[in-house]
Amino acid sequence: MLTLDLAINGLIIGVFYALMAIGLSLIFGILKVVNFAHGEFYMLGAYAYTLAGLLLGISPWISLPFAFLVGMIVGLIVERLLMRPLYSGYTSWAVMRDEYAVIVTFGLSLLLINLVDKIVGPYAYKGPALVDVTRIALGPVLISGHRLIAALAGIGVIIATGLIVRYSYWGRQIQAVAQNRLGASLAGIDTAKASAIVFALAGGLAAVSGALLANIFNPTPDVGVFPAIKSYVIVVLGGMGSVPGSIVASLILGVLESFGGVYISYQYRDTFGLVILILVLMFRPQGLFGERARDV
Amino acid sequence: MKAEDVQGGTRARMRTELLVSLGILAAVALLPAIVANEYWRGVFIVSMYFAMLAAAWNLLAGYTGQLSLAPAAFGMIGGYVTGLLSYHYNAPPMVGIPAAIVVSGLIGFVLGRIVLRLRGPYLALTTLSFAEIVRLIISNSIEITRGDLGLNVPGIFDHRLAYYYAMLAVLLAVQLGLYFLLRTPAGLYLRAIRDDEIAAASRGVKIVLWKTNAFTLSAAISGLAGALYGHFAQFVSPELGLISQTGIIISMVVIGGLGTLPGPIGAAFLVYIASEFLRGFGGYQLIVFALLVIIFSRFFREGLWGLLRRAFERARARPATAQAAE
Amino acid sequence: MPCLLIDRVSKSFGGIKALDRTSFTVDAGELVGLIGPNGSGKTTLINILSGYLAADAGRVDLDGRPTGGLRPETLAALGVQRTFQLTRSFPRMSTLDNLLVAGSALGLSQEAAETRALELLEDLALVRLMHLDAGHLSGGQLKLLEFGACFMVPPRIALLDEPFAAVHPTMKEIMAGFIRRRHAAGQTFILVSHDMPVIVELCPRTICMNAGAVIADENTRAVLTDPVVIEAYLGEAAA
Repeated sequence: MLTLDLAINGLIIGVFYALMAIGLSLIFGILKVVNFAHGEFYMLGAYAYTLAGLLLGISPWISLPFAFLVGMIVGLIVERLLMRPLYSGYTSWAVMRDEYAVIVTFGLSLLLINLVDKIVGPYAYKGPALVDVTRIALGPVLISGHRLIAALAGIGVIIATGLIVRYSYWGRQIQAVAQNRLGASLAGIDTAKASAIVFALAGGLAAVSGALLANIFNPTPDVGVFPAIKSYVIVVLGGMGSVPGSIVASLILGVLESFGGVYISYQYRDTFGLVILILVLMFRPQGLFGERARDV
Repeated sequence: MKAEDVQGGTRARMRTELLVSLGILAAVALLPAIVANEYWRGVFIVSMYFAMLAAAWNLLAGYTGQLSLAPAAFGMIGGYVTGLLSYHYNAPPMVGIPAAIVVSGLIGFVLGRIVLRLRGPYLALTTLSFAEIVRLIISNSIEITRGDLGLNVPGIFDHRLAYYYAMLAVLLAVQLGLYFLLRTPAGLYLRAIRDDEIAAASRGVKIVLWKTNAFTLSAAISGLAGALYGHFAQFVSPELGLISQTGIIISMVVIGGLGTLPGPIGAAFLVYIASEFLRGFGGYQLIVFALLVIIFSRFFREGLWGLLRRAFERARARPATAQAAE
Repeated sequence: MPCLLIDRVSKSFGGIKALDRTSFTVDAGELVGLIGPNGSGKTTLINILSGYLAADAGRVDLDGRPTGGLRPETLAALGVQRTFQLTRSFPRMSTLDNLLVAGSALGLSQEAAETRALELLEDLALVRLMHLDAGHLSGGQLKLLEFGACFMVPPRIALLDEPFAAVHPTMKEIMAGFIRRRHAAGQTFILVSHDMPVIVELCPRTICMNAGAVIADENTRAVLTDPVVIEAYLGEAAA
């Protein structure tokens, strides 16, 4: 049952990708910038989860919300210190906002990676498993217990996020700001607060993704680089700023890599997504769902 | 009177920038007289490699506004072109280096065409993906490139000092070339595209032509830098194309001053030499640079060169106002 | 042969017809006012004429040559110059360099471009701001600068999109004088404006658009008293 096996594993990876990509997509929606330090939130989450278990000996089920909290707090700090100039009062920055956003988030990524490298060291730690069951039979497919439980937890978080963004008071304000920042501010919405919430949420989600995968991809300072690149591919494929698009694109990429790794080339499985990203931007810049990448 | 008016402003500023650049390079030329240590001379040579990459990225990002995240990849491509030619065909550096320039330039041209209509974050994402694809291809094509083991490249000179002055001559040529390019109308077109592409088109600037030119030229210079580095280090590996290498190049340009001539090369020396010092004190160099990049892009957008220029102007304005007050 | 011929040009955005078989011609040396309520398709038309949008149907000829499918930079080189409703400039370049870009791109030598730029700066009262970055200019000064860039090389036709909107009366006077002098010298214009007194003062002929179509096209006084035109404006005001 290789096909089913690959499909299920692909979908599971897709769930973790989605946790990453949703946050990136929300940030793009509200600030129209790509956060090049997004992978480092994943990395911080992975470390928070692993080290909380290792040093404090607490249950992984408590470490998980702890990782989310760490991601949120760092997200809030980053938003407050570095993202404010993108939208508040600095009119002369308008022309340079893309330049600033790319450089400052790229610099932040470099900073966080090397800071963690200095503090924690370059060696990998193994994150604790959420459950002790090594193998669970899912129909004819055998899956590691941690992988399955982590994926289910991830699905839960994604559904909760979707509900919050879609129906909650703040979620609706976020949607309003994403559609039209000026209009939303005229309607009395605190756009700075909306941006802060989005950054906190995005940081938390990426951190949870890192935490859930810490048992499989053990945290090192640069562990976030690849998940970040995957999430760039996903937000481009799903359409920048579209949350449902990101979720669908995550699952597609997960399955595609899973099959491609077996049927096309295992060595080059990490390049599939990158090629997709370039092709999508060349030929269908609005992605599968979202807004157009080219603007006149 | 009027002719003098026109001479001021941008042109006078560019002349000052050229003079300061030449001053920096003159200081570098004199360095071996003071520093006899072979290790430190090697550090200076690598600084010159980074200075070329920084100057090339500055042309693209600082003057043309195209924030490519692939500068390190082009350095790596240049190194591998000459490396592979000599490994497989015994081609001498006299063939390998020009080939590196041409191949990198061509790849830069193609990348420039691909990202022609993309702005800001989309361009950054596409160039980042391109850089990663190239690096993954080189590190996985083990039969051709020996993969992550890297490739031995023959040297050119017997003495380190010969490499030193060869690199310096090339860096000088690059810097002079950029100056003479930027003071022609081409410089106006590139900066116009950076500031507002739509307005530039409405004024008649050939957007496609100048954007692709900037990509091609920047890539060709990076390729040249990579090829020279490969021959000096006698070794190239996929690590030359890592994102962190791009991070170092961006740090240099942002700290020195985006869109200025002396900033990036001056900062390339400062940053690389400082990193060698800091390495001795527990390896905090990358943390310091990353912090500097964030602080400079947040608070001092014109970089070190902008700060220096302003301090200088203020110093010159003070006696003038004092005189006026009398 | 007219300088500009617009023949049944249509353009839709989604389900909305921004232009619906718009047709008119402009002769060389004319200064034509283009008015109409908000959303009547004026800016869409300017965007098509200057190459920023492609028409869905119809043709545009400049001096008898079809311009469909040409890029903005090509049209600029052919002599179609425009200003933007929301002023566009090069904020990190000096005021002088802003003008030199246009001059060089349209083939002037460096000295010729500099001489010309100085004349224009003088004319627009921007000389003392020559070396200041355009990003530091006021809104009105930016309008003047954009205006100047349009005339670095006298265009075949100048398309001015709302040059007087939100501009200080003094600067408005500088601009109006500038337009009047150039019109007297034979320059061809299309002037989009909501400012009726200026239209009356400057333009001998006015075209009024509504819902993407030309509803009136004669001498300015006649257009402004045309009941159809009044209804188009009042209809909008009532809605």
